[in-house]
Amino acid sequence: MKHLKSFNKKAVQLQKAVSPEEVEDVVAMQTIVGCTATADPGWEIDAFGGLSSLCQPMESDLYGCADACWWPAQVPDTMSTYPDWGNGVDKANEDWRKIDGIFEDEQ
Amino acid sequence: MNHKKARLRLFFRSALLLMIAGLGSLSAQARGGEEILREHCTLCHAETTTESGAAHFSRISDQRKTPEGWHMSINRMLHLRGVWLPPQEKQALVEYLANTQGLAPSEAAPFRYLLEQDTNRVETEVDPNLEQMCARCHSAARFGLQRRTEQEWQYLVNFHMGQFPTTELHAMARDREWYRLAHDEVAPELAERYGLKSEAWEEWLSQDKPLLKGSWRVIGFVPGKGEYDGRMTAVPDEDGNGFMLQMKGHYADGSPLEGEGHARVYTGYEWRGTLMLDDVEMRQVLAADPEGETLRGRMFLADSRRLGGAMNAYKDHERTEVLAIQPGYLRLGESREVTLIGQHLNGEVSLGEGVRVEEVIERSDDRIRMRISAAAKGSPGVRDVTVGEATGDNILAVYDRLARLEVEPAHALARVGGNGGQLDKMRVAFRAVGYAAGADGEVGTDDDLRLGYMPADWSIIPADETAAHEQDADYAGTIDAHGIFTPGDAGPNPERPKSANNVGRLKAVATVDDGTDQVSGESRLLVAVQDYVQRVLD
Repeated sequence: MKHLKSFNKKAVQLQKAVSPEEVEDVVAMQTIVGCTATADPGWEIDAFGGLSSLCQPMESDLYGCADACWWPAQVPDTMSTYPDWGNGVDKANEDWRKIDGIFEDEQ
Repeated sequence: MNHKKARLRLFFRSALLLMIAGLGSLSAQARGGEEILREHCTLCHAETTTESGAAHFSRISDQRKTPEGWHMSINRMLHLRGVWLPPQEKQALVEYLANTQGLAPSEAAPFRYLLEQDTNRVETEVDPNLEQMCARCHSAARFGLQRRTEQEWQYLVNFHMGQFPTTELHAMARDREWYRLAHDEVAPELAERYGLKSEAWEEWLSQDKPLLKGSWRVIGFVPGKGEYDGRMTAVPDEDGNGFMLQMKGHYADGSPLEGEGHARVYTGYEWRGTLMLDDVEMRQVLAADPEGETLRGRMFLADSRRLGGAMNAYKDHERTEVLAIQPGYLRLGESREVTLIGQHLNGEVSLGEGVRVEEVIERSDDRIRMRISAAAKGSPGVRDVTVGEATGDNILAVYDRLARLEVEPAHALARVGGNGGQLDKMRVAFRAVGYAAGADGEVGTDDDLRLGYMPADWSIIPADETAAHEQDADYAGTIDAHGIFTPGDAGPNPERPKSANNVGRLKAVATVDDGTDQVSGESRLLVAVQDYVQRVLD
């Protein structure tokens, strides 16, 4: 962070809010094996080490991750790899219980 | 569909299929992996002959991987490329490829945690280029456990572009010439680090492989059950494809441990066992040392891979061996019951300076239950423990004061689940490790004395003020007396702002009484949403 110059007021506030120790912790939590470090906005954790910038509840935008192959690490991409995933479950935030995972170990 | 039941059905169905297949006159092993490969793969993977006259299959022959790596590659061919293989031929192919194009022990060693599914850890010292290009979605171990030619690494870049085209639009990709960097710079770097040819592999291929049948003395830990010791016998199965396993022993609280199953060995040293242990399906991922004296690794729950513990096995050579003391720590001036674990424990027990045996409670060939005490004015430090002619080096820590407590894993990930959904909750097992200050008397220095795992009282607290404000500790899960954290229910929660999921940022706190003092330690715990793609290797 020390090499970045804050460009606007919000960035200044953000920079003040995140101490070097906090940055270290954010990086650590993003790099636990199985976590995705691409904070865009993030699947497990957001760019600031919090949860408030994530899509919440996740189910509301789940197919936005799948259709566009946006989170192929955690969400089956329906663009090319698992085109049928989620079929028959149009409203993920209502019928999320019907959505199955992909279990590669058992294939 | 209840996923656990479905998996159980799948397990028994697969077992039945394998039994039926085993009755056939032509076993998959007899056909040979190369023949299977030729029959099922050459439609796309052209066969040529190398200068030395060996068969070369395009793409396939330019890679080396772990058994799990080949399993994943073949799965991809089955799922995406329309290949069909009978289960026993798939198994034979994985075995053939792992044996002929696997990783040498030294090549797999830095990344064994991924094979062992011991993934609650932060990977350190990852090259920044590789971290941004590959490890932002995968673990660093995922590619660290592969060996390819430069062209093969470049083909892998192309595969990503074709299969996951938005890869170059993600953060850490769209701000740079992703494809050029990946193809022209990162692929050569990967080939430099993880190239196809290596001396270690050539050497391992030419070496005699360890013989692993026989009786093994085992020590380990199962979350919720505790430390255990026992014996595992490995008898070659009728097909010559692996070993029939039997395990029998005790947990530290005296309750019995019993199970049986089967293990296969890949690449001459990669031990993969599946067994029903006290009615719970467990998996073993162990590595044999080149001499076949030890098997080291991890045993975990088949349906909850992150729940597991270290497992070490020591070959029985009919000679005295001192392996461990449970618990392996003793406070100065304290008297307590311990179990000395080894094999063929014949001879007098000596516990080192200032420590004596007060009473032998129970003694067998494999274990000695006894009450021991440390002199109040003795010196702290580690002790060698001797039984007859055999010594266990540094297996007993004698200490003056519990100075600090570390919680393992230091960074952990849990995922919400259940609540009628298809995905189970992903739990975390924490353990507390005690340390004394060591000779310099200062806590937190290199000479701190590791005492070992200690029973602790467990609690969770919010990670910080924001997490407290979001009431993460109320929603994200609970921790039990064994240190096992169970995350909250899946699904939107109408009680939370915006009906947020039961995610949260927490700390797992362990507290141990030490005389009149209480010592605490903590670990960071992230409770995240589900992972809908559960891979063989993350």
